[in-house]
Amino acid sequence: MFSSPITSWENVAAYFTFSDSPMGIAISLAAAVGIYLFLNASIMKHEKESFDKHQ
Amino acid sequence: MTVETVESLKATFEMHQAMNVEVFYWWCTAIMFMIHAGFLAYEIGASRVKNALTSGMKNILTLSVIIPTFYFFGWWIYNAFPNGLIPIDASAALPWSLSMGPDVQDMGTGIFFAAFALFGATTGSILSGAVIERIRLSAFLILAAILGSAVWILAGAWGWHPDGWLLTELGYHDVGASGVVHAVAGFFALGVLMNLGARVGKFKDGVAMYIPPHSLPMALIGLMMIIVGFFGFLGGCIIFNGGETGWTTIYGNPTNLSAFGFNTLMGFAGGVVGAYLTSREPFWTMSGGLAGIITVAAGLDLYYPGLTFVIAASGGALMPIVGRMIEKMGVDDAVGAVAVHGFCGVYGVIMVGVFASAYPNVGDLPDITLSGQLIGAIVMALTGFIPGWGISYVLKKLNALRVPPHVEALGLDLVEIPAKPYPESLPAQAIVENTLEPGQEKQLV
Repeated sequence: MFSSPITSWENVAAYFTFSDSPMGIAISLAAAVGIYLFLNASIMKHEKESFDKHQ
Repeated sequence: MTVETVESLKATFEMHQAMNVEVFYWWCTAIMFMIHAGFLAYEIGASRVKNALTSGMKNILTLSVIIPTFYFFGWWIYNAFPNGLIPIDASAALPWSLSMGPDVQDMGTGIFFAAFALFGATTGSILSGAVIERIRLSAFLILAAILGSAVWILAGAWGWHPDGWLLTELGYHDVGASGVVHAVAGFFALGVLMNLGARVGKFKDGVAMYIPPHSLPMALIGLMMIIVGFFGFLGGCIIFNGGETGWTTIYGNPTNLSAFGFNTLMGFAGGVVGAYLTSREPFWTMSGGLAGIITVAAGLDLYYPGLTFVIAASGGALMPIVGRMIEKMGVDDAVGAVAVHGFCGVYGVIMVGVFASAYPNVGDLPDITLSGQLIGAIVMALTGFIPGWGISYVLKKLNALRVPPHVEALGLDLVEIPAKPYPESLPAQAIVENTLEPGQEKQLV
C-alpha cells in the first residue's frame, strides 16, 4: 500500500504505518472504533433473536 | 580510557537500561494475563453447568473490549485528569498521537500503556464474577468498558499518578492499588448488583440460599492462578527508573522488589489464615489469599512483614463476614467480589493511615495521614459506586441489563452460546431427580 513513512532507518522516531498521514491514522482508528461498536451491536442483535427464539 | 570510549560505554549502558525497563514491564504484563486465566477458570467453576460457557465467554471478551477502549480513551484519561474533573493537556496520550505507536526513540509509552490496560482489564474481571448467571453479555461489556477504561483510570489519575490531587493535596498512599483498582471495581460491582438483582432462587422468604458452583476445584485453581498473576500486577505497580534512581513507587518514594517480596507473601498467607478462621470453607479460604494481598497492597512498600501478616489476617477474617452481611442485605454477589475487592480495598487504604501515618512523601508533598487515607478511601468507593449504580440503572430502565426470566431458567449457555461445556457428560441432575429422557439411560452403560 506504499504506506511506509520512512525511506531509511536513519534518525527515525515514530515509524508506524501512516505516522506521516493523519488521514490514514483517522481511517484506521475509525475502523477500529467501528469494529468495537459493531461487536456491541452484534451481541445485542444476537441476544434479541436468541431470546425470542427460546421464548 | 578516551572520552569517546566513555561516551560509547555510557550510551550502551543507557540503551541496556532502557531495554531492561521494557523487559520488566513486558513480563509483568504477560504475568498479568494469568489473572485473567484465573478469573476465567474461577468464574466458569463458580457458575452452574447451564451457565458455565457464558461466564467464560464473558471473561474472554472482557479483555478484548477493555484493551481497545483503553487505547481509545483510557490512557488519555489517566494523563489528562490528575487535577480532578478538568482535563489538562495530554495530547500525547490521544490515540492519534505519534506517541501512541511504534517509535524507535520512545521505549516507555507502549509498555506502560500495556501494563495499565491490563490493570483496567482486571477491574472488568472483578465485575465479571459478581454478575454471573443473569446479566446480558451486551450490558456487561458496556459496563466493563466503562469501568476498565474510564472509571478506574480516573481514580488512578487522582490517586495513582505523580501529580494526582489525592497525592498532592492529601499525601494519599496506595502503592499496590488497593483503592484505585480493587475498591473502585468492588464498589462499581455493588452498584451494578443493586440494579441487577439476585439470581432466581437465591433468596427464599428473604433468606439467602446456597447456589453451589458446578466445579469448586476449578474455581479454587482459578483463584490460585489469580494469585500468580498478582505478582505481575504488583511488579507493574513499581516504577523502574533509569539513571541512579533505581526502583520507586508510583509516587516517587524509594522502594524495591524485596519490599514487595516480603509483604506480598505475608499478605497472601495472612489472608488465607484469616479467612479460614472465620469461614472454614474452601471458596472463602482461597479468596482469603486475594483478600490478604489486596488488604496490604496499599502499604506494601512500608509495612513490617509481621504487621503485614496481622493486617492481612484481619482483612481475610473480616471478608467472609462482610460477604455474608452483603448477602443478608439482599445483594447476590456470586463470587464475593464486593467483599474481597471492595471491602478489602477500602480497608487496606485506611490501614495505611492507621499504621503508616507521618511517612514522608518526596519533595513538598504532604505526609501520609489517617485523614488523607480516609478521604481517599471514600473517594475510591464513591468513584466506583456512583457510575456503577447510575449506568446500570439506565440499562435496567431500558430493559437491557438482565436476561429475561425464561432465559435464566433455561440457562445462558443454551440460549447465548452455540456450544456445550461437557457434551459427553451424563445429565447428572436428571439422574438424581430420576427425570432422564428415554434413551438417556443407555448412556449410563
